[in-house]
Amino acid sequence: MTELWVKNACVIDPIRGINGEIMDIAIRDGRIVESVSDRADVIDAQRCLTLPGGIDSHTHVSGTKVNFGRYMSPEDMRAGRTKRKGKMHVTSGYYVPTTFGNSYRYSAMGYTTLLEGAMAPLEARHTHEEFTATPHQDMMANTLFDGNWAVMDAVREKDVRKTAAVVAWTLKAARGYGIKLTNPGGTEAWGWGEDLTGIHDMVPHFAVTPAEIITTMIRANELLKLPHSVHLHCNNLGKPGNYQTTLETFELVPDLNAARQTLYATHVQFHAYGGGTWKNICSKAEEITRSVNSKPQIVMDMGQIMFGRTMTMTADGPMEFNLHCLHNNKWSNHDVELETGSGIIPVTYSKKSAVNCIMWAIGLELALLTKNPYQCLLETDNPNGAPFVKYPEVIGLLMSKRYRDEECATLAAGVEQRTSLCALEREMDWHDIAVMTRAGQAKALGIGSQGKGHLGVGAEADIAIYPIRTDSVDPAREYRKVVEGFQKTRYTIKRGRVVSRDGEIIVDGANATFWVDAKVPEDLKMENDPEFIKRFEQFYTVRMSNYPVQDVYLPRGRRIETEVFT
Amino acid sequence: MRVILESKVRAKPNLPIEAEAIIPRNFLKGTDLVVYEGNKERTLSELFWIFVEGTAVAPENIEVILKGDTSRIKRVGEYMDTGSIVIEGDIGMHCGNFMSGGTIEIRGNADSWLGREMRGGTILCRGNAGHYCATGYRGEKKGMQGGKVEVSGNTGDFCAEYLAGGTVHIHGSAGDFPGVEMRGGELIIEGDATRPCGNMKSGTCVILGTVHDMLPTFEKIERRVLPAWKITADVYRGDVANRGKGTLCVRC
Repeated sequence: MTELWVKNACVIDPIRGINGEIMDIAIRDGRIVESVSDRADVIDAQRCLTLPGGIDSHTHVSGTKVNFGRYMSPEDMRAGRTKRKGKMHVTSGYYVPTTFGNSYRYSAMGYTTLLEGAMAPLEARHTHEEFTATPHQDMMANTLFDGNWAVMDAVREKDVRKTAAVVAWTLKAARGYGIKLTNPGGTEAWGWGEDLTGIHDMVPHFAVTPAEIITTMIRANELLKLPHSVHLHCNNLGKPGNYQTTLETFELVPDLNAARQTLYATHVQFHAYGGGTWKNICSKAEEITRSVNSKPQIVMDMGQIMFGRTMTMTADGPMEFNLHCLHNNKWSNHDVELETGSGIIPVTYSKKSAVNCIMWAIGLELALLTKNPYQCLLETDNPNGAPFVKYPEVIGLLMSKRYRDEECATLAAGVEQRTSLCALEREMDWHDIAVMTRAGQAKALGIGSQGKGHLGVGAEADIAIYPIRTDSVDPAREYRKVVEGFQKTRYTIKRGRVVSRDGEIIVDGANATFWVDAKVPEDLKMENDPEFIKRFEQFYTVRMSNYPVQDVYLPRGRRIETEVFT
Repeated sequence: MRVILESKVRAKPNLPIEAEAIIPRNFLKGTDLVVYEGNKERTLSELFWIFVEGTAVAPENIEVILKGDTSRIKRVGEYMDTGSIVIEGDIGMHCGNFMSGGTIEIRGNADSWLGREMRGGTILCRGNAGHYCATGYRGEKKGMQGGKVEVSGNTGDFCAEYLAGGTVHIHGSAGDFPGVEMRGGELIIEGDATRPCGNMKSGTCVILGTVHDMLPTFEKIERRVLPAWKITADVYRGDVANRGKGTLCVRC
């Protein structure tokens, strides 16, 4: 029995409605309890800001795509080198670091739970192997269904139950957590040498449209009662004028779930562009947020970009090809059999580029214009917008108008005219930031019931104690202190153990991988469906019996079972 | 001031020595420097007999001379900015990395990665140089950006890959793919070359010997006399496969 007593903590716990109370937290065997004995270890938080462990609801840290980014960028491994020290492995890399580098840096920032944004089911083993080497965060993997042939066949037949059955089988086979749609239909069309320009274009050979895929998947998701909603990367990412597509997509979303959103729209910054070309691109964040403010069924995340070098990686193959034509730099594209595709290219976001400056402003506008912080979460689509180590700077920008103005003064001309950022006076408070970095994520991912994202009795003891005194720091003026404070926790506690102290990792981690075992009625089991088996054996390069991920790949897997639907 | 380093006989002469500390500026404060033999930290005096002649008040007056078996010593002259280094025999890999000033003279052969990502200064190699002479790091978009590398003998493959500035002059022949991905600067090969300048974006390459397997993605512009080399050459523009506007001159 291990016990820990955190005293004098200035707690902000939005889910339980606690905002800046000085209180003590008792921990026994990895869970928060009412009280502990006097033999417990004591941590004096000295009235520092104490939050539930951070949750990143969309990041790319594991799997084939990320690893190919590492392959492609040997030069990145010259950055961020740290030596082996105590329990810490050697790390290297800045925008595509080693798995341990990811884990240590997230941990130093107080993050304890991550959702890998896109895992191709066929390549799930690789993702799970890297999860075990990301030891200080509990992991989940969104599973890609955007070009899944069986799903598209079921969608064409307008059969929600069949769609749900395919999703359930694939999630279980890949040990995935939720449904990810990346440019639905578009990646598959591109595999056939064609491109889709909107959500009502027909996917060649499948006779379905992205709109049909999205709506049917949303219904299938709710039928299966999955903890997370459909996680959507909209069509037409990164094209000037694409906000129309995004708004059209949002209009499709019904409100089907009282506990959480029905659609999670990811990195919306990349989907909020007006204009028609790169020359006249402008911000449409106001239109997007107006739509989101009136639709409680939608949650989005920022997809903030920050200036500097990074790597873009997504399952959206055609978009990456277009980007490659723009930059003419090294590039990779990949097709994943009957499922999806991917693309990877390195980019540098520059303050000299008007387009990049507008992108930077749009991300902030989205967060500042969304009224309810639970509906716009903080992330950079790591590493697409920026490596996650930039989160503290994003927090600083959201909390300080002065910081934004100082940054705006260094940007290329055009930001003031083509975005409304400079006119926005809103400065977020500590509570908003706590929502945008943990409580909102926990709610959106549906892991509150797993004890994540809050500090109530029975919750997992994932706690981040930052060296910030909220009573003496004015974030609007002293934003540097805020940025520095969020870069390095004083203590990061994971499941009741102090894993990181002042940015230094002091234990070997033991993370868990959450996955969803969605139950379906007996007659809908895909493993008994002769047509499904026939298609599988005909077109895949692997046998159906070799496809599911074995349990040995998840040494600490945590299965979440859902109820059978009728 | 002259610092003479004569390598001692080692029990395991094949173990590489990582000696980025050997640059003239560091000898201004004495010879108490740290190098690595394999993964073991060593002082300079454990591996070399050190002789110092005269004194210096500025690093540009310091000359470092390496004698004996120096063929396994790596990274000599890394980040060197002034002064001179003379290597009497062969030198190991990565000699003159990131060098920005001063001169390095190698009287023997140089191993691979000579003058990688060089910014300025001069490297003169009297013998042959290995692969990746005057290039960049793997994956990086710019290689050597300034200064001069002159090799009296031949070089291995991928000479001047990603060259972005400065001059590379090879008196002998280059191996496969010299000047690949060139972005600027000047590459002169007096001997032969195979498949030169693939994916070249900009810069100039002159080849006075025979070109084997000339790439088909170069567009012939004209035939003209190059007075500097006293030859008539075919001038190509390329690499058109990658929107390149480099110049490749091949003796005809």
